[in-house]
Amino acid sequence: AMAVLRALGPWLCLWALRLPAGTGAAAPGLDIASYRERVRAMFYHAYEHYLESAFPYDELRPLTCDGQDTWGSFSLTLIDALDTLLILGNVSEFQRVVSVLQEGVDFDIDVNASVFETNIRVVGGLLSAHLLSKKAGVEVEVGWPCSGPLLRMAEEAARKLLPAFQTPTGMPYGTVNLLHGVNPGETPVTCTAGIGTFIVEFATLSHLTGDPVFEDVARKALKALWKNRSDIGLVGNHIDVITAKWVAQDAGIGAGVDSYFEYLVKGAILLQDKELMSMFLEYNKAIKNYTKFDDWYLWVQMYKGTVSMPVFQSLEAYWPGLQSLIGDVDNAMRTFLNYYTVWKQFGGLPEFYNIPQGYTVDKREGYPLRPELIESAMYLYRATRDPTVLELGRDAVESIEKISKVDCGFATIKDLRDHRLDNRMESFFLAETVKYLYLLFDPDNFIHNDGSVFDAVVTPYGECVLDAGGYVFNTEAHPIDPAALHCCRKWKEEQWEAEDLMREFYSPKKNKKFTLKRAADYGEGESAKDPEDASSEKGGEKRSSKKSLHSLLSCPTQSFNSKLAVLGQVFLDDT
Amino acid sequence: SRAKDVTMPAKLPVNFFSTRSPVIDLFRGQLDYADHLRQDSEIVLYFFYAPWCGQSIAAREEIERVASRLSDQVLFVAVNCWWNQGKCRKQKHFFYFPVIHLYHRSFGPIEYKGPMSAVYIEKFVRRVMTPLLYISSRSKLLDFLSNYEPGVLGYFEFNASPQPPGYLTFFTSALHSLKKDYLGTIRFGVITNKHVAEEISLVHSGSLYLHRHVNTSLIYPNDVMNYTAENICKWALENREMLIRWLRPHGGKSLLLNNELKKGPALLIFIPYNPLAEIHPLLDEITKVALEYHNCNKSQAAEPDLQHLGGTDSPAFDSSVPDAHMKLSETFSITKYPCCNTVVLPQWHSISRTHNVCELCINQTLGVKPNKVHVPHCNFLEIEAALDSFYLQEHTFFQVISNTLECSNFLSFYSPFSYYTACCRTVNRHFLTFISSEKTIFQTPKVAFSSHGKKDNTQHSIPHIEDRNCFIPDLHISGTNITGLSCRTNKTLNLYLLDSNLFWIYAERLGASRSTHLKEFAAIVDLKEEVHYVLDQNQSLVGSTLENFIKNFSILYSPLKRHLVDDSSVHFHEQRVITEVTTNTFHDTVFLSEKNVLLLYYAQWCGFCASLNHIFIQLARLLPPDNFTVARIDITRNDLPWEFMTDRLPTILFFPHQRKEQSVKFPEHFSVSLPNLLKFILHHSSLSSSEPCTKECLHKETALQQGHISHLEREIQKLRSEISALHQAHDQLEAQLSEARREEHRLQQQKHTLEKQHKTLQLHSEQLQATYDQKNQELLEMAEKLQELADASENLLKENTLLRILVASRDGKLQSKDEIKESLQSEQTLSEENDISVSTATATLEEKTIDNIDTIETEHSSGNRTE
Repeated sequence: AMAVLRALGPWLCLWALRLPAGTGAAAPGLDIASYRERVRAMFYHAYEHYLESAFPYDELRPLTCDGQDTWGSFSLTLIDALDTLLILGNVSEFQRVVSVLQEGVDFDIDVNASVFETNIRVVGGLLSAHLLSKKAGVEVEVGWPCSGPLLRMAEEAARKLLPAFQTPTGMPYGTVNLLHGVNPGETPVTCTAGIGTFIVEFATLSHLTGDPVFEDVARKALKALWKNRSDIGLVGNHIDVITAKWVAQDAGIGAGVDSYFEYLVKGAILLQDKELMSMFLEYNKAIKNYTKFDDWYLWVQMYKGTVSMPVFQSLEAYWPGLQSLIGDVDNAMRTFLNYYTVWKQFGGLPEFYNIPQGYTVDKREGYPLRPELIESAMYLYRATRDPTVLELGRDAVESIEKISKVDCGFATIKDLRDHRLDNRMESFFLAETVKYLYLLFDPDNFIHNDGSVFDAVVTPYGECVLDAGGYVFNTEAHPIDPAALHCCRKWKEEQWEAEDLMREFYSPKKNKKFTLKRAADYGEGESAKDPEDASSEKGGEKRSSKKSLHSLLSCPTQSFNSKLAVLGQVFLDDT
Repeated sequence: SRAKDVTMPAKLPVNFFSTRSPVIDLFRGQLDYADHLRQDSEIVLYFFYAPWCGQSIAAREEIERVASRLSDQVLFVAVNCWWNQGKCRKQKHFFYFPVIHLYHRSFGPIEYKGPMSAVYIEKFVRRVMTPLLYISSRSKLLDFLSNYEPGVLGYFEFNASPQPPGYLTFFTSALHSLKKDYLGTIRFGVITNKHVAEEISLVHSGSLYLHRHVNTSLIYPNDVMNYTAENICKWALENREMLIRWLRPHGGKSLLLNNELKKGPALLIFIPYNPLAEIHPLLDEITKVALEYHNCNKSQAAEPDLQHLGGTDSPAFDSSVPDAHMKLSETFSITKYPCCNTVVLPQWHSISRTHNVCELCINQTLGVKPNKVHVPHCNFLEIEAALDSFYLQEHTFFQVISNTLECSNFLSFYSPFSYYTACCRTVNRHFLTFISSEKTIFQTPKVAFSSHGKKDNTQHSIPHIEDRNCFIPDLHISGTNITGLSCRTNKTLNLYLLDSNLFWIYAERLGASRSTHLKEFAAIVDLKEEVHYVLDQNQSLVGSTLENFIKNFSILYSPLKRHLVDDSSVHFHEQRVITEVTTNTFHDTVFLSEKNVLLLYYAQWCGFCASLNHIFIQLARLLPPDNFTVARIDITRNDLPWEFMTDRLPTILFFPHQRKEQSVKFPEHFSVSLPNLLKFILHHSSLSSSEPCTKECLHKETALQQGHISHLEREIQKLRSEISALHQAHDQLEAQLSEARREEHRLQQQKHTLEKQHKTLQLHSEQLQATYDQKNQELLEMAEKLQELADASENLLKENTLLRILVASRDGKLQSKDEIKESLQSEQTLSEENDISVSTATATLEEKTIDNIDTIETEHSSGNRTE
């Protein structure tokens, strides 16, 4: 999710950081079961009022108790909340909604839709619902997970977005008409995240359906951004997709850029793709060099690296979660603790928070119940089991219930200074905020499966091991099972190869040769051997010069002092 | 629409505390009223909260608990400092909630920053209520000085004046110190008795004394520093002695542990601590060890001043009598500890390898206290009586089978004033022998280390033999003395205390057992060396075990073994296809098993590991389970010996059967895919080696073939299910096909009907065309007629004009005739008649034309309709 970045004002150079002394150590033993039930009650309060008062509109208006279309006209809240239902364990409602969607949703409509939002909410939501439908007890087709009604709907929606990618650079337009394609006179300016946030959904679609077009356009767009980064390795906020000129040159990790970085990492994890990871690691270096100050991340000019806004944005709070996925847990925790102080000050995260002034920024005081900080809390709790992280969850439940709960749902906080409410409940509240909160308080949820249980599914292409954990969340919190990507069409060849190997292993022949080792002796000559690295073009141009000693697709192990890095304690790495 | 602009102001504030609560709740943020309330009370506690704040909600209960205990002496005021119409929000600017401010009359605010737990808050409030302790007698002085926390004493003569000079400043400095040092470690005392003051060589009223145990105690330098509250406080803070420190992380981001642990190796001692309790026997014992440890200058024994108070008249501070110290510590322990006796219960089961051991203590603090002062001597009769009472209740203790210490208090049968405490636990028999032989110097016994391979004779050089179940090293008694050890060793320890009620999580992280109820734990953490050692948890945490622990750390060849934290929550599942390995099972699973072992190092949080789950599951299902084990270890929760550590995740190691020591690492630049892993395993597995076949080999071959058979059977089964899946898919396709055919048929029919319709339509349109043409023709004819009519009318018009001319000429003729004949009347009538007839003719003509046009138009429009 993202918001459009605003004009930048001059800012104070002098800024001293407060480190507010936290008030008291963790009260031992937060009752997570009771908080889990409160989150469940929150979900149903909002969900039932949506169905009652707003369906089939996109969103509920909680103050006037009615509905409105916002991002299109696809009953968006329902699509977005679908997999949350399953995570809460409500199988029957999941099944009901699946049939409602199959009948009711039509993408042949004359609507101008955001390419980005349609992808993450609609395509992502349908894909994850499709992959979870067997678990939810929906009777699936024989070809599942490679075919199915929800998959066809996702594919249909995604095809409606493809015309946007028909540009000289391969970077998509921001808006497309679902019936007529790109409108004549459409603005060619798209934000960075609107270009680089497709690979998770589109690669999944390509792997499941066998049509490579989706993954191809997503990759092309990612590479175009990579090519247009500045000399110091940063990307700006908005770019012209025709001329590839940067229109807004603020570089940071928040609004307008956020999910681009997120998808480089998640794409690398989902696809075991070194190229994407090497891109991210290069960006990560530049981000640390130029934007990081005292565990905060600021906004800088993308060519010069000078600070343009000393601001923390609500949307940036996903970053610690992303860091923990790649093993940078220490830094993640330090930044998370910074962000948590802002929550403690207001009972929510303002869209913009001026770090040196320690207060909200004019016109950016709202909190639309965004999930990012809670999302990071979920990842960090997985990594550290630190009760401080649970305390954020507790604070979020208390704040949201006390401040934004109204008779008809949960209302966006228009102004965190006085807690005035706005007549809107964004669909990500049910898709993400509630989901991550629930998962934080439910350590035994199937989403947290560490691979100890799995499901073996027989498809016409052979047997698949599915639901073995490791779910990759798209940026709208729709989980994708990475195992499903190895289940359909040509990806099955891997398994057939493995079966051949076993056959050879058992054969009475004496001279069996398994040739992996020999290839390894060549060191760098891996790409030819590597079935997944078909594209030999590698991310970093500098790659050949500095041969990294470890695989890009790995995390560092945690240091010794991480044992004691809980309850707010952080350690400085001065080795 | 207008609904878009609908907003709603925040809900009005409501009561945060219940109306029956002893806390006054100013939920509209009436700070002015709060200030007004303060005028009437000596001690006030302000609780500034935000109603939405989780921490405020959590602290509310604690504050209420404190308030219910202290409400008669302290005014508790809660102020909603969030409500934006309230005074508080307008005047104060807090970055977090709740904020607790204390006032002692006009002095304040003193912010409380300690743990949000009722006992700690109450303790602090009590400190604010009485910042100074009154030292009225020698025994109180002794108590004050023996405390491990630094203390400042002031001597003020009250007989001279009711408010001796400097007293108020001293009092304020005590309050001031609470502002700076919110843990309240520096205690302030005031002496009013001249003789008591002399014991610590204070002579002049107004002089201050900072007591130190190891270093020389100090007198406040009046001549160097001004006598102000701030200065006194600063002086005490700068010069205090910190032999052992409490660590109380506040929960926010902090470098406390980082800063402390980077000073060097640290001994962290976790004990449950109740700040309100009057005595802390365990704490006293620990601080005694700490004092001894830091007591470097033997000539200045730890408590010379106490010795001095003990009775000798000699005012010498540097008492160097060697046995003085001994004598002292005896008195010390007698005054501080209750009398205890260890009782080993007879075995309740003769074959049992365990014993129940009880520590029986006379406890005067529980129940009715006849005398607050400690009984100075341990009365033999009392112990006897206690033992009698205890044995009468013996049976209750027989049932105890627990590794944890369980205590019970019971009333003496002989004295209604005495209670006894019996703490019992079950210990292994050999543990008892160690206890009994504690005083004999024994050699390190040979421990039967389990080992593998052929390295048996080099056990001590293999660092991974770190059997922590062996607690002998901790009992290792060396000749070293703890006294002043900190100065004699080059591995000096910093000593820290942590309250296990609040910070047990750190102990768990360092490997404290999760099952124990007794939350006592000690560990030495060496951040630089990245190791930590743990005091054997089968031993109770007492002074002597702690001493040995410290000694064993300090000596040159330390017998302490690096502690490896193990994830005890992992349960062994037979059904799992992947074997979950922990620190404890590592050796057995990997080295002792008769299989090829593939071991994956992973962490739950690492995205690159989790997405490989399905590949390893597939691998484990593919490989014959009799020859291969696919295992994994969560490296974040399980420490391993150094040589098996890794710095990246995932890491994949293969330990081939019979060559376990030659483990191979899966090359990192290969993608982790099923075929690659299989190639890797099969290449390195001993099974694929082609050696000349012996008898053993034949056996192996049969086993392999059996594996093959079961593999094939599995494969057949899989193929069968695949066939059925394909059948289903086929059926589905068939159904879809027939559906499609039906659809096609339907479409065909539709096409036919459409064609028919098309034809009729065509026919119709032809007809229409014909009528159209006909009408068109008619129209043309009509137009022609019209033209004719127009011509006719033109002719008529012409005729008309001709007629007019004719008439005019006739008129002219007639006029000329009249002029001649002069008959005017008859001529006029004639001309009028003529005029009328002409005009009537023209009108009829025009009417005719209009009629014609009308008919044409009607025909045209009807033609349109039919078309």
